[in-house]
Amino acid sequence: MRDDLKVGVFLCECGGNISDVIDLDRVREELDVEFVGQFENLCSLNGRKIIRDAIFDHDLDRVVVAACSPISHEKTFQDYVKPLNPYLMDMANIREQCSWVHDDSKKATNKAITLINASIEKVKQSDAVDPIYCQTPDEVAIIGGGIAGMNAALSLARQGTKVTIIEQSPSIGGHMAKIGKVFSPVKIAEECGMCLLNPILNELVWNNNIEVLTNAKVIEAERRAGTYNLIVEQSPRYVDIEKCIACGKCAQVCEVEVPDDWNDGLSTRKAIYRPFGQSYPESYVIDMENCTKCGECFRECNMKAIKLRGKNERIPLQVGSIIVATGHKLFDMNKRPEYGYTRYDDVITQSELGRITGVNGPTKGKLLKSNGEVPKRVVMIQCVGSRDEKPDGHKYCSKICCTVALKNANIIKHKNPDTDVVVCYTDVRTPGMFEKYYKHTQENEVRFIRGRPGEVVKKGDSFIVRTEDTLKGEFIEIEADMVVLSTAMEPSDGTIEIAEILNIGTTEDGFIKESHPKIKPVTTDVQGVFVCGTAQDPKDITESIMQATASASKVSEYNYGGVEIEPFIAEIDKEKCNLCGDCIQRCKYKAMSIQNDEIYIDPMACTGCGKCLIGCAHKAITVNGNIDEKITATIKGVLSKKQPDERTILVFLDNIGYTAADNIGVNRLSYPESIHIIKVISVNRVRPKHIKYALENGADGVFIGEFPGDLMYDEVERKVQRVKKTLEELNEDPERIAFSKVYIPYFTGLARKLIDFDKQIQELNEAES
Amino acid sequence: MKNVPDSNILLFRSCLVSVEYPGVESSTKFVFDKLGVDYEISEKQTCCTGLGHYSDVFTQIDTSAIGARNFKIAKNLNRPNLVMMCATCYAINKKSVKLLNKNDDLRNEINGLFEDNGLKHLTYEKNDLLPTENIFHVVDILYGKKDEIEKNIKYDLSEYKIATHHGCHYCKVHYEDTIAGFRDPNILDELVEACGCKTIGWYDHKRATCGTGFRQRYSNPDLSFTATADKMNALDEEDVEILIHLCPNCHIQFDRYQHLISKRENKNYKAIHLNIAQFIAIVMGGDFNKVIGVKSHTVPIDSIIKELKEVK
Amino acid sequence: MSSKQNIDDSPIDFAEEIIHDYKNSKDEGVLKCVQCGMCTSTCPAARHSDYNPRDIIERVLDGDKSILNDDLLWNCFYCYTCHSVCPVGNSVCEVNQILKQIAISNEIGYDKLYEYMGFADSYFTAAIGAIPEIFFEDIKKDVPGWWEFRQNLGEIRDELELTPPLMPSKEVIDEVSKILTITGFKEKIEKIRSSQEVSQ
Repeated sequence: MRDDLKVGVFLCECGGNISDVIDLDRVREELDVEFVGQFENLCSLNGRKIIRDAIFDHDLDRVVVAACSPISHEKTFQDYVKPLNPYLMDMANIREQCSWVHDDSKKATNKAITLINASIEKVKQSDAVDPIYCQTPDEVAIIGGGIAGMNAALSLARQGTKVTIIEQSPSIGGHMAKIGKVFSPVKIAEECGMCLLNPILNELVWNNNIEVLTNAKVIEAERRAGTYNLIVEQSPRYVDIEKCIACGKCAQVCEVEVPDDWNDGLSTRKAIYRPFGQSYPESYVIDMENCTKCGECFRECNMKAIKLRGKNERIPLQVGSIIVATGHKLFDMNKRPEYGYTRYDDVITQSELGRITGVNGPTKGKLLKSNGEVPKRVVMIQCVGSRDEKPDGHKYCSKICCTVALKNANIIKHKNPDTDVVVCYTDVRTPGMFEKYYKHTQENEVRFIRGRPGEVVKKGDSFIVRTEDTLKGEFIEIEADMVVLSTAMEPSDGTIEIAEILNIGTTEDGFIKESHPKIKPVTTDVQGVFVCGTAQDPKDITESIMQATASASKVSEYNYGGVEIEPFIAEIDKEKCNLCGDCIQRCKYKAMSIQNDEIYIDPMACTGCGKCLIGCAHKAITVNGNIDEKITATIKGVLSKKQPDERTILVFLDNIGYTAADNIGVNRLSYPESIHIIKVISVNRVRPKHIKYALENGADGVFIGEFPGDLMYDEVERKVQRVKKTLEELNEDPERIAFSKVYIPYFTGLARKLIDFDKQIQELNEAES
Repeated sequence: MKNVPDSNILLFRSCLVSVEYPGVESSTKFVFDKLGVDYEISEKQTCCTGLGHYSDVFTQIDTSAIGARNFKIAKNLNRPNLVMMCATCYAINKKSVKLLNKNDDLRNEINGLFEDNGLKHLTYEKNDLLPTENIFHVVDILYGKKDEIEKNIKYDLSEYKIATHHGCHYCKVHYEDTIAGFRDPNILDELVEACGCKTIGWYDHKRATCGTGFRQRYSNPDLSFTATADKMNALDEEDVEILIHLCPNCHIQFDRYQHLISKRENKNYKAIHLNIAQFIAIVMGGDFNKVIGVKSHTVPIDSIIKELKEVK
Repeated sequence: MSSKQNIDDSPIDFAEEIIHDYKNSKDEGVLKCVQCGMCTSTCPAARHSDYNPRDIIERVLDGDKSILNDDLLWNCFYCYTCHSVCPVGNSVCEVNQILKQIAISNEIGYDKLYEYMGFADSYFTAAIGAIPEIFFEDIKKDVPGWWEFRQNLGEIRDELELTPPLMPSKEVIDEVSKILTITGFKEKIEKIRSSQEVSQ
């Protein structure tokens, strides 16, 4: 049937680039197809008409364009073959991989004919398929209402997108709300953090596109082609936010006092409380764990806003995309007991110092020790829990602690110029403009001692910080009456939980992992889930906001552009599938899941790599587009007219390897004519049976190249090893198969490997004959 | 917490326990018997080489070859769980097991020497013993039996001011295996608590060395005793009466030299020094002469513990 | 003081030698040192003498082999505090031990071992570790009652009903001496001994 298809071949001279080396007259003679045409510049606009007319005139079913590389012009010719389906056209690359790499006209012409024949065989196996087009709902869930989440929400809302912020605590605002002052390295000044945060908060509150759910967390998530069904659990506030006017009378009568976590436990709050002055929702909340249910607040409230009964509510939410902005927490100081944090009140963290120096903090901004006196000397210890490979420590640098210490040192110096501030550091990391702020801090007479302290002990009324002054090479004991620890940033509990619920990959340190640290800094390994802020890694407010707006922009790409997906993806035969789940385990792209008792394949995640096929005992999975058959047909096409004295090597490359191979031609290097490169959508789709088929039908060698950054790399390498082994068992020489790393810029290396492999095969042939 | 065995134990004899504080061995046996721990002592086992090793006289090959012999003895007795009374034995043996498992060159070199010299029966096979599964200190075993200890308390020592000194070679050499902390070591504190007593917890230099420093005590006594004095002064400031040990070498440094360091520092230190096994044995009713071995102590035990009060 | 690094100098070789020593349990740890000084901050020898563990690593990384002759090297307590806290996963304590073994294999620092030959003897001839007798006089002087206690050790052990006996059997001793002969221990000890005799 397929053999009867009418194929038209269009030869492009490429203004001599091809025709100067390849004898196109001979090519035309040797081809056995319905129609062969030859043109000077097929990609020019005239090409469209030429191709279309030929399709109509000769009633062509399939088209082969023998021209440049598909990397250059596949999209052009897919368009030019209209009204044929774009996937019924195939390109034979007789420029980058033939005329540009070979000098010998006769041999190059032979190879061109082979390549075109391979394309003819392949295109006969092609079926018309339509690209899959996914449009995601434009509602977005943002998990976490800190500075990153708030900015992402605002950016999207301003673009008209409906956003729901899901915040675990009773108020949005995050760490920035309690930070006290922030500083600008350019202005060399500290500014009020709340004053910068408040306009953002207000705008967010007034934006109709944003809904804020506080006391809420995502407990379940299910994904379906760009749609997420989330279940959000909201615990009761016990105060009706519609009625509460935040007058505070309730708190006045409440008799329960507990440490105020917003002040890092440095002061107390009541069981009914408002987290902080500008908290949103603008309402009180009851901490039921500590409430004695005495009823005083209930009686006191004129607005009748208090309801002592309430239960968790489950709110379903359907969104197109999710932004994870779940933030960080600080290192637990129990893990470094030698610094005495848990033993001594005046050993504190930088976060606590921020509260103490904050005007809305426990001392109304006065720098005081626990006994109410002003400290004479504050020693700051850097890298506590950071840059520390010991148990419970973090190997990474928490990035902000140097500048936070500088900021707090300056604030101390502004308030109490007589207080001596000493920073014990290993390296002061103040890249870019921050260096100016470091100099400013030195001008303020903050002192720096280079050494990582070993311990802090109490002697009489003060502390002894034991360290080495490494610049002097001297062990010293620094007397201090306040010690401030610059504690590491680590992923918040919420970050760890949401990674599990959404099945997002994390780094070894537990942060959300971006899909590529360089070029995909806000996408995650789950389609439609983006990350920003300190959930991804330690960063400052500026960087958090940049990443937040970047993630909002990525969401907008989804919302407004939709997503066009190559149609060659896996499909499941529900009749055959017994829901064993093997494919779910195998899929590296997290494309498979069980939904409503069926395997569901997310078209946005599937790459068509075919890994799932291997384990499917019931053969319930197919990958669209006849990929298997096309590879076999291409091999057949290459080998069909092989001469006995000819050497033929098949090289399988995916997009990256193929681009590297093109680069060999672009740079006019060369490799032997025996090399025939076959482009596949995933190297993993080259199956053992293909390799065996090739070797049995005359191929002298098979070369498989893969980019080591590919998720499937290890898989493919193992597979090639397995095939080599079976070959050995069949008394075939495993050296006829090669597996190699390929990189786009390292095309010279690929050329050399191809030359070497050809030589190796030549020697094998000679040895065997 | 790591999985601590209570059977198939070879109780590893220590040279310093044997000749300096034999009461530690008898107390350990007494407590193990009370707690139902299955152990045996082998007369074939020789000591770990630690004193020589840390005086730089023994190389790693010497020490690990001796170790391999001892490991084979344990294996042949079907008592693969080595339990040490001395912190240095613990560190030395654990390191040898780690090296013999991980470092193929070292293992092959030692096995080669054995094979070439008629000692093939001592050959160590990779993973014959596992460092985390088979190598323990007595305190680990006691920690695993904490609940049992609580059930066997006879005497109440809670009126004494107690502090702990954790041997460096238990806590810090293989810190990833140390139970209850090494930056603020607490395993002894928790064991003392299991006896119904409290410790003073943290004190200055709590995690610091006893000051023995192997060669330092003999060749560099000023340095050695100054370091010990740091600790003794801190304990004295806290008015400590009983210091709990887990290593006979630390025990020597404190008990034998307290008198000398008192004089050097112009102080009058009063603390007595007990190994944790001795302390638990006292609490469980062990006889001072027949179990605790008080006669081997330099600072007399009865200078602090004058009489025993039964628990109510 | 200034120094020059010639193009053919390869100071890192010294660190490499240490990394490849059997004793090293910290892989490339020594190369990762950032000279933060936490080792020195917690070191009892640094606290009370001029010993400086951070400086040792600096000199190792500089390829400064003169460190093998440095008497200060011998001040380490082997307390492993640096080893337990080093933020980059180095162990100065192990490096120190390795340096001493390198020194000894180069016949440097033999004099530091003379007093400790007693350990070698008791282990080789009796398969037991024991405080060298050379120190007994000091101990008698420093520790009241110790000598008397040692005289009564047998009785005390009997009272405690300790078995097996203190001394290993002849078979055990023979096997142990054989091991210590084939590892090269015996030969090394004899060499140190003869250098001691020459020096006296």
